[in-house]
Amino acid sequence: MLSKEASELTVAAERVPERRGTRSPVLRRILPYIEGGALVVALIVPLVLSERMDLITLATNVLILSLLAISFDLCWGLSGIMSFGQALFFGVAGYAIALVGRDLEFSELWGTLPLAMLVGLLLAGLFAAFLLLGRKPPTTIFVALGTLTGAYAAERLVSGWQYVGAGNGLSSVKLLKIGSYEFVEGTAFYFLALGLLVLIYAGARFLKQSQLGLVLAGMRQNEERLAFFGYRVQLFKAVVFSLAGLVAGLGGALYSYHQGFIGPGNMGPGLSTTAVLYSLLGGSGTLIGPVFGAVTVEVLSYVLSDIDAIKPIWPVILGLILLGVVMFQPKGILGLLVSDRERIGSYGRRRRGG
Amino acid sequence: MGIEIKLVFDLLAFMSVMVLIVLGLGIIASMMGIFNFAHGEFVLLGAYTVYVFESSGLSAWAGILAAPLVLALIGLILERLVIRRFYASPIIAMLGTYAVGLVIREIVRGLLGGHYKSISEPLPGAFTLFGVDFSIWRTVIVVVTACVIAGTWLFLARTSVGLQVRGSLENPNLARACGISTSRLYAFTFAFGAALAGLAGALIVPLYQLSADIGTRFLVQAFLSVMLGGVGTFEGPVLGAAVVGGMAAGLPWLVMPVLADPLVFIIALVIVKFRPQGFITQGRL
Repeated sequence: MLSKEASELTVAAERVPERRGTRSPVLRRILPYIEGGALVVALIVPLVLSERMDLITLATNVLILSLLAISFDLCWGLSGIMSFGQALFFGVAGYAIALVGRDLEFSELWGTLPLAMLVGLLLAGLFAAFLLLGRKPPTTIFVALGTLTGAYAAERLVSGWQYVGAGNGLSSVKLLKIGSYEFVEGTAFYFLALGLLVLIYAGARFLKQSQLGLVLAGMRQNEERLAFFGYRVQLFKAVVFSLAGLVAGLGGALYSYHQGFIGPGNMGPGLSTTAVLYSLLGGSGTLIGPVFGAVTVEVLSYVLSDIDAIKPIWPVILGLILLGVVMFQPKGILGLLVSDRERIGSYGRRRRGG
Repeated sequence: MGIEIKLVFDLLAFMSVMVLIVLGLGIIASMMGIFNFAHGEFVLLGAYTVYVFESSGLSAWAGILAAPLVLALIGLILERLVIRRFYASPIIAMLGTYAVGLVIREIVRGLLGGHYKSISEPLPGAFTLFGVDFSIWRTVIVVVTACVIAGTWLFLARTSVGLQVRGSLENPNLARACGISTSRLYAFTFAFGAALAGLAGALIVPLYQLSADIGTRFLVQAFLSVMLGGVGTFEGPVLGAAVVGGMAAGLPWLVMPVLADPLVFIIALVIVKFRPQGFITQGRL
């Protein structure tokens, strides 16, 4: 009675098919090629689009939202925590740097971006300590609803709080700067966002392939067994969740600087579930998949919302896409290309002659 | 004196609204282990049914009667097409039902054209008792809620279908082995939960203006109520909803309204954290 796809997604399809020698060793790993190709495209985009300011802005925005997508993928794809509140860390960090800019007149890059990351890290750490740690291991539902509640409560609190602009949010955020150079929307900001995204991506990729990643992969497969081995499973989850908060915080700060605006909508369940959509659509657990998801969704909604006939039903289409992915293609777009073995990652020494 | 009675009545009315909304959610969560994110949209559809009836010249009462039926039908169809794929995996079920809810909400938003519609109370006015004015419609809601709780309890505790429901909740495999078609029972339960949500929506829409987000504002509170009360029981969610509803309506009198809203969530989460099994422990639906 259970659909196979649905149950596959819960364990992120951990069964590795025993197919050896059906593909040449070069083609067995295609994820690095996809990643490299994406980087090349990302480097070329501003040169091609240098005439169209609006498209550069869109591309920068996509890069920033990709950070949010990666942050969600760290939670769900890597450690199996369903977070319906990833935007909370995004939004709070965005608010933090907007307030620092407004009240302290400070927006130096070397100061504010680490601050945003710290805010995201600490807030996520606090959430993780409350939701994940404790004598009894929490149910996944409790964690999912806890993050959702956190994001919702924060959205409601902020939209009624005059000091942070209430429902209108904070607009005309001070521009990000290094010394006297100010980052306005445009190619420079694009490359800044791209550089940071690549750094974060490399970090996340390293995390996934490290020994910690191996523990996480084991946890996804059988949490209890790992616990019996003596791993403090919840602690690992809490660490990854905090790191995901750091990534989301950086994204939020960049978003705030880039848009010049941050509002209650940027920290609520709405944006959080958009992050879920990015990740599932692209292919959760692959890191590059969520980035693809973010690109696909944002570019599509930019293109389609110009067409009057589609604009009002676009949210309906988004909902149908999410439903379709959840029901029929839980591995996402990348699941069509990348083998399960590669999606999950392989660890340890490669067997010779196998 | 008057103000206290008024306060108690307001608390009671809001608690009734919460209980009405949570009841369906709690039954679905207990039975199938699914936290239905589309529940708020079922409430919305119930409200929308009343609006359709009223705007086409029929009586609002007909709409209130029709809403549970319409929602039961929609629930049945959704269960057959979508929800039954998710029974094994609660997290995926959340995502799937969220997507369903999003689709419903945005369609209704399109139909309403983004406007707020106000629906007049079918029984307007107030009656006076002990020198205090009571809104008639809120009284109706309190009474209907009491009837629904009693009816649902009688249904689950005294009828043979109710026995089957309780049996499949306790041990689905054994229930199947005894010849109870759990899949049919699940479909029925889901439709029943949706119908309760539809009734809730139909009753509360005169109190709040009809907009596409009418259900969303209750959703998180409703989830917390279910967790607070305990999944797998009948009394649990009712009790949880009463507590959350009471806090949500009562706290603004004690602290700043801006803080009251998030405070409800925080208190509820903390209680759930330290009593994860809920007020009432499992196995007694």
